[in-house]
Amino acid sequence: MRPAALAWRGLVRQPARASLGIVGIAAVGALLFDMLLLSRGLVVSFRDLLDSAGFDVRVTATEALPTAGPPMEEASRVCATIGALPEVEQVVPLNFGLATAPDGGSLYLIGSGPRTRRTWTMIEGEPLPDESPPQGPPPAVVNRNLARDLDVGPGDTIRLQIRSFPAMELVVTGIVEIIFDDAEARTAATTREAYFRLHGLPDADTVDLLLVASAPGVRSADTVAAIREAVPEYHPFSNADFVARFQRTDFTYFRQISFVLSTVTLFFAFLLVTTLLTVSVNQRFAEIAALRALGFTRRRVVADLLWESALVVGAGGFLALPAGGLLAVRLDAILRDIPGLPARLHFFVFEPRAVLLHVALLGLTGVLAALYPVFLAARLPIAATLRKETVS
Amino acid sequence: MIVEARGLSKVFPMAAGPVTALHDASLRIAERDYVAIQGPSGCGKSTLLHILGCVETPTGGSLLFDGRDVAALGDRERSRIRLTKIGFVFQRFFLLPMLTAWENVELPQSEAGASRDRRRARTAELLEYVGLERRAGHLPSQLSGGEMQRVAIARALANRPGLVLADEPTGELDEATGGNIADLLDRVNADGTAVVVVTHNPMLAARATTRLRMASGRLLGPGERE
Repeated sequence: MRPAALAWRGLVRQPARASLGIVGIAAVGALLFDMLLLSRGLVVSFRDLLDSAGFDVRVTATEALPTAGPPMEEASRVCATIGALPEVEQVVPLNFGLATAPDGGSLYLIGSGPRTRRTWTMIEGEPLPDESPPQGPPPAVVNRNLARDLDVGPGDTIRLQIRSFPAMELVVTGIVEIIFDDAEARTAATTREAYFRLHGLPDADTVDLLLVASAPGVRSADTVAAIREAVPEYHPFSNADFVARFQRTDFTYFRQISFVLSTVTLFFAFLLVTTLLTVSVNQRFAEIAALRALGFTRRRVVADLLWESALVVGAGGFLALPAGGLLAVRLDAILRDIPGLPARLHFFVFEPRAVLLHVALLGLTGVLAALYPVFLAARLPIAATLRKETVS
Repeated sequence: MIVEARGLSKVFPMAAGPVTALHDASLRIAERDYVAIQGPSGCGKSTLLHILGCVETPTGGSLLFDGRDVAALGDRERSRIRLTKIGFVFQRFFLLPMLTAWENVELPQSEAGASRDRRRARTAELLEYVGLERRAGHLPSQLSGGEMQRVAIARALANRPGLVLADEPTGELDEATGGNIADLLDRVNADGTAVVVVTHNPMLAARATTRLRMASGRLLGPGERE
């Protein structure tokens, strides 16, 4: 009978103890799995969010976030300069501001330049035209929250106002989903011309953010370098740069939390398996001594125990994956309710590497946890144990 | 000659001072020998048996097993000797409780590397030999004491050892059941296996061809009083 089979029979012999051990490992394993998902979830989700817009480089006036820093001047010249670079396929200028809706509530207003790539997802109606028509109200797209609150749809008009400038009517061409909107956000997007008119600055030529798509086959880093050389006064950065910056700042808390909690859960797993196996070995001193007397080598006895550890940790670790997955869905839903976060941003994101890391960490924990009971079993004095067990 | 022990001694270091469990014990065990070792509790019988079975290391003297100096062997080689050349029968049986009678008998063969067919044939043969072929699928907890000891004897014989060492094999059994076990050991010896039995049971000891007495860690000579 091979060590694995003997270990299995040993576990089956005491189903209550084995089940408790497996459930315990499944519980701490689920937490570990969740912490592994959390450790990179925001980064992966944020990167996916950035990439999903189809633009791999962004340009701002300063290193501040797009809506937090000053705008770039001479937007037309900057767009033309960057758009003429061979590394660049498309440049889309965007302006961001706040406006007041007819219901008195505020909303985010985006002024967007011409684009062929999607900066938002159409849900209903027609896309935003590149330019306002010469006559009549300019076009706008609104997100679902705003459409719901104002009870408008394609073809309706909305009246927006910015500060004390005259209010202006816009025609809703469609309803869209904007990737960086949070769950409660009310957002409208219009042409930059209409955006500036609403601001009372019809001749303004500033821009808050340039979305840049690299030409096919061009690396983002090369595009960034080309833009930096062409417009050295501004700050181009790739999606990867942006993600790295967030990793160093805002996301670092989640990584630290996940690291600390992962370490704690691994320690619990270690204690649990060590306790289980140590109790198991202590209860079976006579069996182990008898096996050694019958000619089983130390290596064989050690293999039996390692297999027992592997079976408990393996079964618990396997159950931990669906349990952790369900827990992650619930925790993700709770965390995503934090106000101001993009609705499509997730804290827990499944990655195959998280499963591999989970397996590796639990496996290592299982081996380390088995060391002490293995030591006990391997060093067990055969004759003294047999004498003691016979007398007792 | 299977075992040749010369001047064996065993001293256990204790907090209150060293305890001599065995002193200058010499004996030889040849093929087909049937040796009984008797003596009061604590006289060193089990220690001697454990040394002969290569599970205990003597602190003095030498032990040759099949002509090989056991002191020169490593743990792995001693384990191999125990697995293939020695069969152990314990007072408390020490069957693995999660394995059936069949599996307990098969286990040492598996460890020794016997093929599945050979294991199957040998296990069936041994369970029939000890009269438990109908209890093959039972767990130790479903067997009586006498049945468990018979399984233990079958397990001891699994790898066809030349020597069976039995430590108080009737110690946990009533007189009638002990008699059956004694009969079985007689048969094992009659079939060609040397048997060394440590026992308080005079009925069992009387069946041995050689009876040794021990007192205070010493093997007594003929006529020597305890």
